[in-house]
Amino acid sequence: MNLNNLSISKINTLFKKKEIKPSEVYEQVFEKTSQSESILHAHLKIFQEEAINNSKLSDERYLKGEELSKLDGIPIAIKDNINLKNHETTCSSKILSNYVSPYDATVIDKLRKCGVIFTGKTNLDEFAMGSSTENSAFGPTKNPWNPDCVPGGSSGGSAAVVSVGSAIASLGSDTGGSIRQPASFCGVVGFKPTYGSVSRYGLVAFASSLDQIGPITNNVADAKLVFNAIKGHDPLDATSIEDKSVQIPKDKTAKVGVIKELMEDGISEDSKREVEKTIELLKAEGNEIVEVSLPLTKMALSIYYLIAPAECSANLSRFDGVRFGLREPGETSYEMMENTRAEGFGEEVKKRILLGTYALSAGYFDAYYGQALKARSLITKDFENKFQDVDYLISPTTPTPAFKFGEKTENPLEMYMSDLCTIPANLAGLPAISIPTGLSSEGMPLSVQIMSPAKTDNSLLDFSEKIEKLVGFTLKPTLLEDSK
Amino acid sequence: MKNEIDIEAVAKLAAINLSDKEKEKLGKDLNIILEHVDALSKMNLEDEEISIHPLRKELTLREDVSSEFLSHEEAMSNSPQTEDGQFVVPPSLD
Repeated sequence: MNLNNLSISKINTLFKKKEIKPSEVYEQVFEKTSQSESILHAHLKIFQEEAINNSKLSDERYLKGEELSKLDGIPIAIKDNINLKNHETTCSSKILSNYVSPYDATVIDKLRKCGVIFTGKTNLDEFAMGSSTENSAFGPTKNPWNPDCVPGGSSGGSAAVVSVGSAIASLGSDTGGSIRQPASFCGVVGFKPTYGSVSRYGLVAFASSLDQIGPITNNVADAKLVFNAIKGHDPLDATSIEDKSVQIPKDKTAKVGVIKELMEDGISEDSKREVEKTIELLKAEGNEIVEVSLPLTKMALSIYYLIAPAECSANLSRFDGVRFGLREPGETSYEMMENTRAEGFGEEVKKRILLGTYALSAGYFDAYYGQALKARSLITKDFENKFQDVDYLISPTTPTPAFKFGEKTENPLEMYMSDLCTIPANLAGLPAISIPTGLSSEGMPLSVQIMSPAKTDNSLLDFSEKIEKLVGFTLKPTLLEDSK
Repeated sequence: MKNEIDIEAVAKLAAINLSDKEKEKLGKDLNIILEHVDALSKMNLEDEEISIHPLRKELTLREDVSSEFLSHEEAMSNSPQTEDGQFVVPPSLD
């Protein structure tokens, strides 16, 4: 049985009807992994033995009619900055290359209780800092649609495994677009939930006020299923929000705002075309489309590149060679720390720590971090005001399709620009999703991004399912067929 | 805002030893970024409030009740060097 394009619900039905077993699904998924891994390098660890054993346990549960949830027996890959007990969590960094987590992240605990089969840990830009996985200390991941192109980042491995079929779904983390941008580059769905709706406990912190865990999946229904399995208030995360969702009425057509500033300079014709195509389809269904101006989105990159590095410099101060990870010798404790951090961190991570340290240092705090936090409040209010008038906002997910390796490594701003459309949702804490809609002239996937008010995640997912059906994009990369 | 970064001073604060090559490359990159973010300094935000949580939510703390978590041994299991349940580090003073 070919699993291509089957939703998790459909697979679950087949499990229940005894038409296929979880261990057989894992076998197929592992087969894809064996075929693709030498080309893609999407994984840092593959849990073959453990996954086989767990999928057999799932077989037995279905046999007895005692399955734990719709996700029971579903193979899911995990980004390697999320802790799984007794497994390494490297964050693609030399400084954590020997770290073994003594505990499960809350999202892992929840998925474990659902009977999910964890397939392995996926590659990322070091500490989730980057947009291409070129910053992984263990080598980059390739894009399944064209291995000369990046898969996006930082959750590049998580997007690539779903795209190629070596997992049915994956978890990523999104600080400035790290779920949505790679999902777009790899032609799959990527969802960043409302800030605080999914616990960050056990996610290695990069920028705590922006980080959010979310699913990468083949379709919107799968994203909804995984999101609802991992969401919920967690007393172990002080920023976690109460589980009170807000609904946008479903029984009417929607009013959708097109963000003017994200359809202007710096956005490729390819990316604009996908938004225009989607708008036409929505219009034909009776939805109202209006142009919306959010001028501050043009400042989002500047705000982000002060807040994120500032928080990262504080968060990454824990990597000091004392409690965990790498240690390089030194005559004094301070020398040991300086040597350890010099050896353990890669260039991009050092750059962001230095930038954040500078922005937080005496004399600069108010001018940089303080000013950025105030501007962030203003952006958040701007979004709130616009959502008084529209139900959803639409934009491209990325300014361009996936780019080639090395194309944006010389000038940091060029790389940062690839998150231009995704960063605003992180600053305002909003839910945002990337839905694949078509291919570029070069045959690389393109997507649209839909945003909605905070806590309306399930409404956003329902609306996105409608868009997905209207667009009808079902193509998959032909990498494995081509390599035969 | 000032736009020239004293890379050596910042590296010292961040406790990262940088090679001369890194100082040059990272210094250049950081100045490019600082020039870009300088646009923020032109915004008049005097009356705006600072919010840490994007949804402007108060951070909540757990009840101050002890609970089962990691054992002492588990919590220290990743340390490069321990002795008698304590972390071992080089001297802190020269």
